[in-house]
Amino acid sequence: MTGSWGRRIVGLAALGGFVLLFAPIVVIVAFSFNEPAGRYNLVWQRFTMENWLHPFEREELTAAVLFSLRIAGAASLVAGVLGTLVALALVRHRFRGGALVDLLLVLPLTTPEIVMGSSLALLFLDLGVDRGPLTILLAHSMFCLSFVALTVKARLRGIDWTLEDAAMDLGAPPWRTFRTVTFPMVVPGVVAAMLLSFSLSMDDVIITFFVSGDGDANFPKYVYGSFQRELAPQVHVLSTALLVLSLGLLALSVVWQRRRATLSPGRV
Amino acid sequence: MSTRVGGRRLTPYLLVGPGVAWLGVFFLVPLWNLFVMSLSTKRSRYDFDPAFRWDWSNYGDVFGAYGTQLGRSFLFAGVATLACLVIGYPMAYWVVVHGGRFRAALVGLVIVPFFTSFLLRTISWTVLLADESVIVRALRATGVLAVLRTVGWIDGDRLLDTPVAVVGGLTYNFLPFMVLPLYVSLERIDLRLLDACGDLYASGWSAFRRVVLPLSLPGVFAGSLLTFIPATGDFVNAYFLGGTSSRMIGNVVQDRFLVQLDQPGAAAISFLLMAVITVAVLVYARVLGTEELTS
Amino acid sequence: MTLHTSRRRFLGGLAAVAAGGVFAPSLLTACGNDAVGGRRLRVATWPIYIDVEPEGEATLDLFEKATGIPVDWNEDINDNLEYFAKIQPTLSAGKTIRADIITPTYWLVPRLADLGWLEPLPIDAIPNAKNLLPGLQRPTWDPEGRWSLPWQTGTTGIAYNRKATGGKEIRSMDDLFHPDLAGKVGFLTEMRDTLGLLMLADGKNPETASVADAERAIERLRKAKSDGQIRKFTGNDYQDELTKGSFAACVAWSGDIAQLALENPDLAYVVPDEGGMKWADAMVIPKGTTDLDAVAKFMDFVYDPTNAARITASVQYISPVQGVREALRAAGGDGAALADSTALFPDAATEKRLYTFRSLSEDEESRLSEAFSKLTGS
Repeated sequence: MTGSWGRRIVGLAALGGFVLLFAPIVVIVAFSFNEPAGRYNLVWQRFTMENWLHPFEREELTAAVLFSLRIAGAASLVAGVLGTLVALALVRHRFRGGALVDLLLVLPLTTPEIVMGSSLALLFLDLGVDRGPLTILLAHSMFCLSFVALTVKARLRGIDWTLEDAAMDLGAPPWRTFRTVTFPMVVPGVVAAMLLSFSLSMDDVIITFFVSGDGDANFPKYVYGSFQRELAPQVHVLSTALLVLSLGLLALSVVWQRRRATLSPGRV
Repeated sequence: MSTRVGGRRLTPYLLVGPGVAWLGVFFLVPLWNLFVMSLSTKRSRYDFDPAFRWDWSNYGDVFGAYGTQLGRSFLFAGVATLACLVIGYPMAYWVVVHGGRFRAALVGLVIVPFFTSFLLRTISWTVLLADESVIVRALRATGVLAVLRTVGWIDGDRLLDTPVAVVGGLTYNFLPFMVLPLYVSLERIDLRLLDACGDLYASGWSAFRRVVLPLSLPGVFAGSLLTFIPATGDFVNAYFLGGTSSRMIGNVVQDRFLVQLDQPGAAAISFLLMAVITVAVLVYARVLGTEELTS
Repeated sequence: MTLHTSRRRFLGGLAAVAAGGVFAPSLLTACGNDAVGGRRLRVATWPIYIDVEPEGEATLDLFEKATGIPVDWNEDINDNLEYFAKIQPTLSAGKTIRADIITPTYWLVPRLADLGWLEPLPIDAIPNAKNLLPGLQRPTWDPEGRWSLPWQTGTTGIAYNRKATGGKEIRSMDDLFHPDLAGKVGFLTEMRDTLGLLMLADGKNPETASVADAERAIERLRKAKSDGQIRKFTGNDYQDELTKGSFAACVAWSGDIAQLALENPDLAYVVPDEGGMKWADAMVIPKGTTDLDAVAKFMDFVYDPTNAARITASVQYISPVQGVREALRAAGGDGAALADSTALFPDAATEKRLYTFRSLSEDEESRLSEAFSKLTGS
């Protein structure tokens, strides 16, 4: 592969891969400026700013996006807390059953969503719990928990834990040690994992399909359902806006982490 | 790693307790429940409370009725995984070797699609693959469609609503899950090894084959699983991009469960799918250890 | 089973309570779309099934002005079976769904009534119910007229896009099986529409046909599917496929095409020579609805010919309300032209060629639905 031909081929292939990844995104952004002829915003007609000037015209769509944001926020919070605790235990302690916990964390990742969705729907039906916002939140926090625990675990492995021991040895009580030493070291990894959870939850169709009641729709479920009658350009507008927003947040968090890293006592 | 013992023996259990309970209640219990349902029977179409009676016949029934879709799901997911590997490997490799200080940013690019809706990205492919789209016209003009037709992958003169479009959609949607683990495994390889190899071997290809590829195998395996598993259970791609002969097992479960109200049937299919995948995963896990799946 | 159930109940209940205690209050109040105080009428229906313009003067606005009751109009129904599956757990458990009026297709009405999931119509409070067309009074699916009032009725026939058929006009179901249209044909996942038309093409009357006749129709469809004749089975979204030209011809509902043809003159709708299907989507009241007064007021309002005519002019289906034709004429303008449309007011000759799918016993229903869903859903 060091040969120049090999290099060129690999370069071209990689470029092709990136183009592939972004092709539909280009379509989404472009079609947010389209003025569709019928009910479906799927055929390019002409450029317009109309959709961007009236991004919230479809009330149900806006409600679905807000619903998604709320669920994603709550789910990543639940998963963030529970997952981090699990990760801390696995990295900082050796205990009987640790390997089993590891396995339990991996299982949801190796289970097709359709299986988790149908099994959860069945659980809620059997328990007589009405499917609704709460069941969606429970389901999302479940699959996010695994992601958080595993991501945070991987990040914690790279941390220099002797600092914590040092603090303890210097007589700091456990809670204080946690607050002043452990917590700041752990935070960047947790934040990254929660961001991941947030986007996983925002994007989930399959599980949500099974655990939502009649009438609740998160963003993807709304798009799926409304596709029976229309695909409004506002769907493209809000998607594009969310993309820009999350890229902005991502950039901010990178900057913030860089700054933390330079200030952190762990990286002297 | 230092481990504190003594009075804090309980601490790890307190830490993992809530998370494990959460997964137990919302993952393991439902699975058990699903298994029970798969052995239950509905007395009639409008019996909404299937009775548990160790009824293994559901498995035979659904396998008979939906074996085709099950096989098709594994085939589609397998081809998509292979395609992801072929497309994703050069991407990961190139980023590691030539990314320089932009490495992190380039890997970030791979995740960007996650920030737009999976569903809307899939729907956008219906635009890109529409019968008269630029892409399809080009493929038609260059004879690619004719080749696909000869091979028997498509029937008509189009891509949308064919198995090819579904496999393409799966490949697209799960590509990042292949690239990321590949990147992680390639990044760990000391690239100076390559230089050393360059001196010893005449061809870069053989250096790649003998040194880089074996070292990146864990990434290949992890990526394959993370691509293959969600792809087998997906119904969105087949729904939007597929036609009458490209429905997957996910579509069947959705239809049985959410439209036909045949929970026992849907449960049996889910379990069958789960069982096949679990066996495959356990075999992989034996080879690799679970760490590699998740790093 | 009881052992499992109790254990599940305990575990799941615990978790739900724990999680609910922390998150439910804010989440539920923020997300629930139950009105906070005040009366609201909640209608769950099919997409694009009422007029929305001009703003402030559309039917729902006028209803609110007249009665003070705002309406939540939810386009939640995309497929009868899917909607049935959605509301089943709630209604089975004896709880109320989030709708006061729903509009399933006629054949689902007796099923819902038999299951005890409907409230009888407060017919005394709906004086305008007398305007129901004579042909729709006491139909086979609601012989005492106890449960339902039709919302709209219509026909199922064939829609085609002349651009995609190469200018060819479609006349009969057999045209859909012609090799020229290979891979450009669509069928509906709504079983009675698709099978009804196929049985008619086979010379069978869907009002009396046997299950074997229906199975022959399924067989014909299966063969066409494996030959690559059929591009897709769809629900309402066939409209997109047809407009784009992905479908050259497909089984379709009359009013949809009338609406679409206004913007796209290449689209046409035809009741096949051998006969078409006739159906009704009916307003019924789910069990447990408390505000029957609001329900009655709404039904009465839309059974007033002037209001019904306004809806007809927008949705372009066949109104079940007597006097709509006259109301359209009286309104003048574009509406007056509609009064002469044979699509909205089928003449006697067309009427004779329209059939309704006969009611199926539970066994027949299971057998056919199973076979049909295996074909279309997989």
